[in-house]
Amino acid sequence: MIDIGRLCVKIAGRDAGKKCVIVDILDDNFVLIDGETRRRKCNIFHIEAFDQVLAIKKGASHDEVADALKKIGVEARKTKAKAKTVKPITLRRSKLATKAPAAAIPKKEEKPKAAPAKKPAVKTEAKPKKAITKKLAEKKEA
Amino acid sequence: MVEGKKKSRTFRRVYVKTPGGKTVLHYRRRKPAKAQCGNCGALLKGVPQARVYKMRNMPKTMKRPERPYGGVLCTRCMRAKIIQKARISS
Repeated sequence: MIDIGRLCVKIAGRDAGKKCVIVDILDDNFVLIDGETRRRKCNIFHIEAFDQVLAIKKGASHDEVADALKKIGVEARKTKAKAKTVKPITLRRSKLATKAPAAAIPKKEEKPKAAPAKKPAVKTEAKPKKAITKKLAEKKEA
Repeated sequence: MVEGKKKSRTFRRVYVKTPGGKTVLHYRRRKPAKAQCGNCGALLKGVPQARVYKMRNMPKTMKRPERPYGGVLCTRCMRAKIIQKARISS
């Protein structure tokens, strides 16, 4: 019952109830299946074989299996390759200054630096000396 | 004194040690029964045994296995049903 091209149905796993075709015999216990299910290795005890045998070669591709299944009215699993999308990386302002290159940091417009305003010269008059009083003179003598 | 309704055996008695060092008695609700297969009555795996308020907050994938008839039939009954369906359709 386990031949290449044999139509089967999966009875275990999340693909249970879906039709598949034996593409290759790997072992005494394992076969390679494809069809409505994912293309993968499967235990013989997890599939139930039918009488029908499809005309496919050993190791047939998914497209060949899909064409063979279309003739009996079974639609094979379609998987679209997802287009690679580059996510925009957003950095915090604090990290931008340390990690990001100088080109990434938005340059602030430099204002022309004005010369510091000169303070008007303040004439400092010399402090008047304290007049020596009699008391001070007495202290000095002491 | 304890409320009359709490004396029922539908509540379970749990001894709780308080931060003050006292041991007090708390009354808590029991969990519901485990899920059974709709065909043969076998206990189902992958279905949590939790009260409604906890089940409601769980995601769908946590409440049943990801396969046809998951959470309804056991694996043995599920396989038999799928083989029966496939033979009828062919």
